[in-house]
Amino acid sequence: MTRYVLGRVATALGALWAVYTVTFVVLYLLPGDPVTMLLAAGDVPAENLSAEHLAGLKSQYGLDQPIHDQYAHHLWRLAHLDLGESFSRNVPVSELLADRLGPTLALGSLAILLAVVGGGAFAFLAVAARSGRVRDLLRRLPAAAVSLPPFFVGLLLIQVFAFRLGWFPAIGSDGGRTLILPALMMALPAAAMLAQVLTRSLDSTLAEPYVVTARAKGLSRTAVVTRHGLRNAAPAAVNLSGLLLGATVAEAVVAETLFSRDGLGRLAHEAVLDQDIPVVQAVVLVAGAAVALINLVVDLIHPLLDPRVVAARRAG
Amino acid sequence: MSSHAKGHIRTLSLVAVLSLVACDGDAGKTAQDSLPTTGGTLRVAFWDDAQRCVDPNQVYWIETRSVDRQIADSLTDQDPATGAIVPWLATGWTVSDDARQYTFDLRHGVTFSDGAPLDAPAVKTAFDATFALGAKSVLGLTYLAGYASTTVVDQDTVTVRFDRPNAAFLQATSTTTLAILSPASYRETPERRCAGRIVASGPFVLDEFTAGKKVHLTRRKDYAWPSPLVRNRGAAHLDAITFSYIKEASVRVGSLTSAAIDVVWPREPISEPDQNLIRRTGGRIESRPLPGVSYQLVPNVTSGRPLADLRVRQAVQKLIDRETYAATVYWPGYPVVASVFDSTTPYFTAQAAALAHDPDGASRLLDEAGWLLGPDGYRYRDGRKLTLLDPVTAALPGDQLIQDQMRRAGIELRLMVVTAAKRVDLFAAGDFDLALAFLTRADPSVLGSALDQAVSKQGTARYSQDPATAAKVSALFAQGLQSIDPAQRGRAYAELQRYVVETGVSFPVCERVQTVGLSPRVQGFAFTSEAFLRTNDLWLSGPDS
Repeated sequence: MTRYVLGRVATALGALWAVYTVTFVVLYLLPGDPVTMLLAAGDVPAENLSAEHLAGLKSQYGLDQPIHDQYAHHLWRLAHLDLGESFSRNVPVSELLADRLGPTLALGSLAILLAVVGGGAFAFLAVAARSGRVRDLLRRLPAAAVSLPPFFVGLLLIQVFAFRLGWFPAIGSDGGRTLILPALMMALPAAAMLAQVLTRSLDSTLAEPYVVTARAKGLSRTAVVTRHGLRNAAPAAVNLSGLLLGATVAEAVVAETLFSRDGLGRLAHEAVLDQDIPVVQAVVLVAGAAVALINLVVDLIHPLLDPRVVAARRAG
Repeated sequence: MSSHAKGHIRTLSLVAVLSLVACDGDAGKTAQDSLPTTGGTLRVAFWDDAQRCVDPNQVYWIETRSVDRQIADSLTDQDPATGAIVPWLATGWTVSDDARQYTFDLRHGVTFSDGAPLDAPAVKTAFDATFALGAKSVLGLTYLAGYASTTVVDQDTVTVRFDRPNAAFLQATSTTTLAILSPASYRETPERRCAGRIVASGPFVLDEFTAGKKVHLTRRKDYAWPSPLVRNRGAAHLDAITFSYIKEASVRVGSLTSAAIDVVWPREPISEPDQNLIRRTGGRIESRPLPGVSYQLVPNVTSGRPLADLRVRQAVQKLIDRETYAATVYWPGYPVVASVFDSTTPYFTAQAAALAHDPDGASRLLDEAGWLLGPDGYRYRDGRKLTLLDPVTAALPGDQLIQDQMRRAGIELRLMVVTAAKRVDLFAAGDFDLALAFLTRADPSVLGSALDQAVSKQGTARYSQDPATAAKVSALFAQGLQSIDPAQRGRAYAELQRYVVETGVSFPVCERVQTVGLSPRVQGFAFTSEAFLRTNDLWLSGPDS
């Protein structure tokens, strides 16, 4: 088991290094450079500055060095857990991360919780409902929900629950009430996807001969779904949850921008536009680490849910 | 010629006191009979802060200049109605006839919020430090063009010297860019000042600045040196001001109409439906064209390119239907651009005739230039299609409207969508036919940074004029800066506006208008001359939410 875990951790670290390197190369290949972006953001085009002025600014950020030197420099610092300083904000990147990680963690956790609870409950209803017509309808809804653009859903939520009903604030990140609408927006596609997968795997479980036996024993439909169905369908859903976390990080970009929230998503979006390389790198590392971590957890939970995985590994 | 403004301030103060007693003006009709109430927090929503810097000396981002105006004071102020420069931290000044030497008398009793006095050494420290910022202050570079030194004459007199005439400097001293910070602020690095380590003498003190997220200001209770353009002679009515950033327009306007914020201050003009929505909920709209370079397209006249021919440039000038542009891209009644300057710019003179829409005249000019209509509706000469390359970051409705206006006369306007960084490259390399220019400053010399080859390295300056035209344009810009005599400056800039429009050195497209949406609670709203926010007289009526 220890070897298995160590192997997984090494894979995760390798993936992080690859992500870091690819991001670095992509950012450097983009046209323009951080200094020009910073100065050309507003009314004033940077080309108006003299060559000496620009060169001075570039050397201040180390941008005049060859790309491989810059890469080595950044990687060396990273190995010492130094994330460097933001180009465009004049503060250490670690400070930015500390400031923005909390709100995104809170938002992401609530969104995933809503997605798992909502998606699970939906799948349960879609399978356990007595009326065949209701079951049919419930099976079709997730497909519709998946195809709604999150941005549009977010605008609708704001219009209805913030501006019309006034139940929740439309903007900001102070307090739990500001979490609800963006978390709902992020949870909807994830919940819908989860509901689809769970419904399908519940269906196939319920078609198994032992379920027929269980029914014949006199178990109710609900009891069969709870005791036999969910247990067998859970591994697929847990696997999917790992993937959903990655999607959640991506959706935080939209949610935090639309709802004017602080967080890593919005920071990442702005840093990419600024070509603020140290910040983008740091956000990518954090997001990558989160995905690697959740996948590791999923891998570790999987054998507990489904002993066949361990058995297969021993046999193989 | 010399100008002396001492004693002027007393008269203006008297006027201000009288108008306070009369209680007329812009206090709004709902509150006409009530005196301003003290207290409350004004909540303003901007769209973005891409520069992420709050130091007024370094800021070019127009929204942040509205923040800085509440924190930092300047030597002079500019009257939005007339463009006249009036005393503020300087009670008076003299300017040498050659516009190279400015002596300011400083007001007594002004202090920074850290307790330091605002005196001659403090002003010298500020100007020296702002000049030393170099490229970190892109606006400061042009405002202080030719800066040689500042000398402390005595505790409340300074002399600023330039090694070439800079008649626009007096207006520059009224801007936030040349606002005076406390000497202690200049001991911080420019980066730390950007991040919020600034202390100044304004009616509000900066408590918190998190770029693109939140700005919080608190009233300074002992403030007593406002500009004479302000009615309230003491501390601000508001307890505090917060600035937040909301990117999505519908969320911004919804936040205003649902009373979550008091002021929406977007960059793009508030759309007509949104304006109606704001008015329906009891709010109102204030607007002011941003003074300075209007939104314009500048040609590349390099030989071999279509716009090298004066007749083609004049045809393009006639083909842009500016009235339709203003009425359809914005709304009926939106101001129609009439020069290379917006109408709020001092020395603006309308060039209505030269900018009239005249498709027939344009067709005649294009025929004369040898560009003849082909069977596909486009014009050709020697087998080459008349195509103009216009690099844009997004093909906006306005761009498409001009594209259509050109197409009707047989010109293909190719909107090439590129990233902002790529466009900078294209403009610098001369790989375009039309380039975009605009810039905010309430002095006509600002156009020089877009068009004057003698001072600007921008593509819009380098490629828009052949040597003969450039010599004439540069001479007119130099004339405008040689003397502070308004008559002489006026003549130079009137001739400049006529010349660049008639010779197609620039194609004005539309005015840039700052629109602001206000909740019903906001009273006493005021714009500065450069269309930034001024809150000395602003107060909130009704219950605090």
